[in-house]
Amino acid sequence: MYSIVEHEVLAPRVHRLRVQAPVVAEKAKPGQFVILIIDEKGERVPFTISDWDSEAGTVDFVFIEVGKTTQQLATMQPGDQLLSFIGPLGRPAEVGQFGHVVSVLSGYGIAAMVPILKALKDNGNTLTTIVQAPDQDRLFGQKPLEELSDTLILALGTQGDGMMESTTVAMRKLLNQHPKRRIDRVIAMCSLCLMRVLSEMTRPYAIKTMVHLTPVMVDGTGMCGACRLSVGRTNRFACVHGPEFDGHEVDGWEVLMARRCTYADESILQQGFQCRGCSQW
Amino acid sequence: KQKINLNRVEMPKQSEHERRHNFDEVALGYTWELAKEEASRCIQCKKRPCQQGCPVNIDIPDFIAALQREDVEEAARILKRKTSLPGVCGRVCPQELQCENACTLNKKGAPVAIGRLERFIADWERTQGAPTMPEMAPSTGKKVAVVGSGPSGLTVASDLAILGHQVVLFEALHVAGGVLMYGIPQFRLPKEIVQREVQYVQSLGVDLRLNTVIGINYSLDELLRTDYDAVYLAPGAGLPKFLGVPGENLNMVYSANEFLTRTNLMKAYRYPEYATPIKMGKKVAVIGGGNVAMDAARCAVRLGAQEVYVIYRRTRAEMPARLEEVENAEEEGIEFHFLCNPTAFLSDGRNNVAAMELIRMKLTEPDESGRRRPVPIPGSEYILDVDTVVVSLGTSPNPLIPSTTPDLNVTRWGTVVTDERGRTSKARVWAGGDIVSGGATVISAMGEGRIAAASMHEFLSNGQ
Ligand SMILES: Cc1cc2nc3c(=O)[nH]c(=O)nc-3n(C[C@H](O)[C@H](O)[C@H](O)COP(=O)(O)OP(=O)(O)OC[C@H]3O[C@@H](n4cnc5c(N)ncnc54)[C@H](O)[C@@H]3O)c2cc1C
Ligand SMILES: Cc1cc2nc3c(=O)[nH]c(=O)nc-3n(C[C@H](O)[C@H](O)[C@H](O)COP(=O)(O)OP(=O)(O)OC[C@H]3O[C@@H](n4cnc5c(N)ncnc54)[C@H](O)[C@@H]3O)c2cc1C
Ligand code: SF4
Ligand code: SF4
Ligand code: FES
Ligand SMILES: [Mg+2]
Repeated sequence: MYSIVEHEVLAPRVHRLRVQAPVVAEKAKPGQFVILIIDEKGERVPFTISDWDSEAGTVDFVFIEVGKTTQQLATMQPGDQLLSFIGPLGRPAEVGQFGHVVSVLSGYGIAAMVPILKALKDNGNTLTTIVQAPDQDRLFGQKPLEELSDTLILALGTQGDGMMESTTVAMRKLLNQHPKRRIDRVIAMCSLCLMRVLSEMTRPYAIKTMVHLTPVMVDGTGMCGACRLSVGRTNRFACVHGPEFDGHEVDGWEVLMARRCTYADESILQQGFQCRGCSQW
Repeated sequence: KQKINLNRVEMPKQSEHERRHNFDEVALGYTWELAKEEASRCIQCKKRPCQQGCPVNIDIPDFIAALQREDVEEAARILKRKTSLPGVCGRVCPQELQCENACTLNKKGAPVAIGRLERFIADWERTQGAPTMPEMAPSTGKKVAVVGSGPSGLTVASDLAILGHQVVLFEALHVAGGVLMYGIPQFRLPKEIVQREVQYVQSLGVDLRLNTVIGINYSLDELLRTDYDAVYLAPGAGLPKFLGVPGENLNMVYSANEFLTRTNLMKAYRYPEYATPIKMGKKVAVIGGGNVAMDAARCAVRLGAQEVYVIYRRTRAEMPARLEEVENAEEEGIEFHFLCNPTAFLSDGRNNVAAMELIRMKLTEPDESGRRRPVPIPGSEYILDVDTVVVSLGTSPNPLIPSTTPDLNVTRWGTVVTDERGRTSKARVWAGGDIVSGGATVISAMGEGRIAAASMHEFLSNGQ
């Protein structure tokens, strides 16, 4: 069993949990994730590691309430136990000395990208960070981003298409300055649709664009194939070969998005989840 | 002289109408009366052909003789000498190819139902009394890591614990048992039986560490460098195979591993009481002809599919699945399509599978090895409407440990290379089960474990 040692509400429906899991904390690297099960009747659900302390043996993650399991997680308090907590899974994010890195974050990505940004900062990169949130009230986790970023751009908008525009408008402006103000790399941890749009935006400029993909997962160790997707015309398992991939090599975004929504009608609470053009609606 | 009875005693089972709607065990097992009657058919052959047909050489005539004397306890003891999982093997061994195939009576009539008797004895022991605890050797002070808690790992862990070694058993999933838990369905092998075996292994002092992935949480080299004198690798063959044809990633195309893991390990058949969902269509195609395919097809029936097709590129005679399960599947209304193979999966326009394209196959004349290969018949493509597909082509060896252990020799199929005693190319490391065979049977995984455990014990005792 794995004890919950902290529970912080960051914004409406957004929570941070800290879990006692020394074996996971010992090996964690930026961009990796865990799979947890709440109790004997629970499902296996993946969450990105947003912080860890290998000395204290704790692991943090931030989650958004969207359905049954995340709602149940939201009720858990310090002292409560999780049945299972496996990780660190997936390959760590690629970190190196790239130069100017633009990152795009939304949702839990606002917190889960922090370890990657820290590592990029330590490698001497210049960081421009675009944060997307529906409005000021639902923005969280700004402080570490302010500290880490050389430039922080807030893209606040209402739910729906307008919101996506403000992020793409910001990105367009940055791309217009390229290569005078050179962008060496883009990293995105946000909605699948936005990551796809961003990959298309940077393709003509040949700016390497890494996306953090989240297909539905079951085991998270390469056994079930639920998380398979086509990258560079070969089948990859996001839990083993990812979750970070080169967005320009990802083919079959449509299939990926459809698969991601297989169970969307089961318990999804998120308003506006019914993306335009999504195959499932 | 005793008259030989050529007909075996049937084992009661749930009717096909009833069992299509539940996940309870299909075969109900012999009663004591039936078991006695079946045991009485054995003529106690001097040459013991049945025993030679068993991969772990169980003393079959002896345990049947004990049953004939009405001494079930003694029968259980005899069984336990060679197998630690009689309740499992009695249910899932392909007996018709092994012990029962070799039985003398098989020449004239039906062989003695050795598997059913084994199952009876194991169930009797499980329900009638405490399992007999083995005599434990004094502690040797040596420490062993066993990676993977399937039948192979469980066998090595218990054998070495009994011999006095301290054993830590690492398992990546949140429960122990391997394929017995996540693959083989409840209606064929109740999970309570597997968990009972796991508890027994723990009762021997084996330290089971769930949720721990070797290759991620600890590398093999780390295990050898830190606490452990020797390691047994039994991570199985868990990597799902795909056909590699267009459209295979469409929504509602499952690998058998995902389909069976959701259903069995995560108990999706009890959704929403259990949180894991499984989406099922009406017309389900299961691709493959092995045990995995039979299990997937029969789960689909129970999850409410209206039509279930098994698509197999050879004929019924070549199907590698256990005969009993093929018959069960037929009784449950599953439709078999032989001599055809999918060439593409087609979308409904919204990235859900709506149909598949198949090509008809024929078998070639037997080659030198006597095998008849399936080859496509050009121009014979046709379309079959389906809304769910389960690709059940089997699995490949799990690459995680080999890929994180550069000096571990593997074949080009990814199986770990061992000698006949289970030693790998790496000092102090043994391996067995599906990671070595590439995918075989529960009993062979167990048998390889037995042999490796003996070799490991020798090494731990005298360094050789
Ligand atoms: C690698 C990875 C990292 C993730 N990191 C985070 C994170 O840090 N914070 C966070 O809030 N969320 C994260 N997610 C998404 C998170 O797993 C889902 O939000 C969660 O499973 C929803 O469960 P639910 O029962 O509350 O909702 P449900 O109603 O069951 O599902 C809502 C939606 O969540 C997704 N989802 C459901 N089950 C799974 C599953 N088993 N695997 C993947 N997606 C699923 C589907 O798109 C589904 O439509 C991550 C997903 C992946 C694959
Ligand atoms: C659906 C299905 C039906 C079958 N039906 C039959 C049947 O009827 N009769 C029969 O005889 N055989 C059957 N088989 C085959 C049989 O189950 C296998 O041959 C047998 O289970 C192999 O045993 P094993 O111990 O080698 O591996 P497994 O049973 O595969 O166990 C391996 C274990 O190791 C764990 N593991 C993997 N990697 C790691 C790691 N890095 N760190 C820690 N743990 C790890 C896995 O999670 C798993 O629990 C079937 C197989 C399947 C899939
Ligand atoms: S273990 Fe399997 S092969 Fe051996 S006797 Fe039992 S049923 Fe037959
Ligand atoms: S071969 Fe058949 S009849 Fe002969 S001893 Fe074995 S089980 Fe009995
Ligand atoms: S989640 Fe099962 S293979 Fe990736
Ligand atoms: Mg859920």
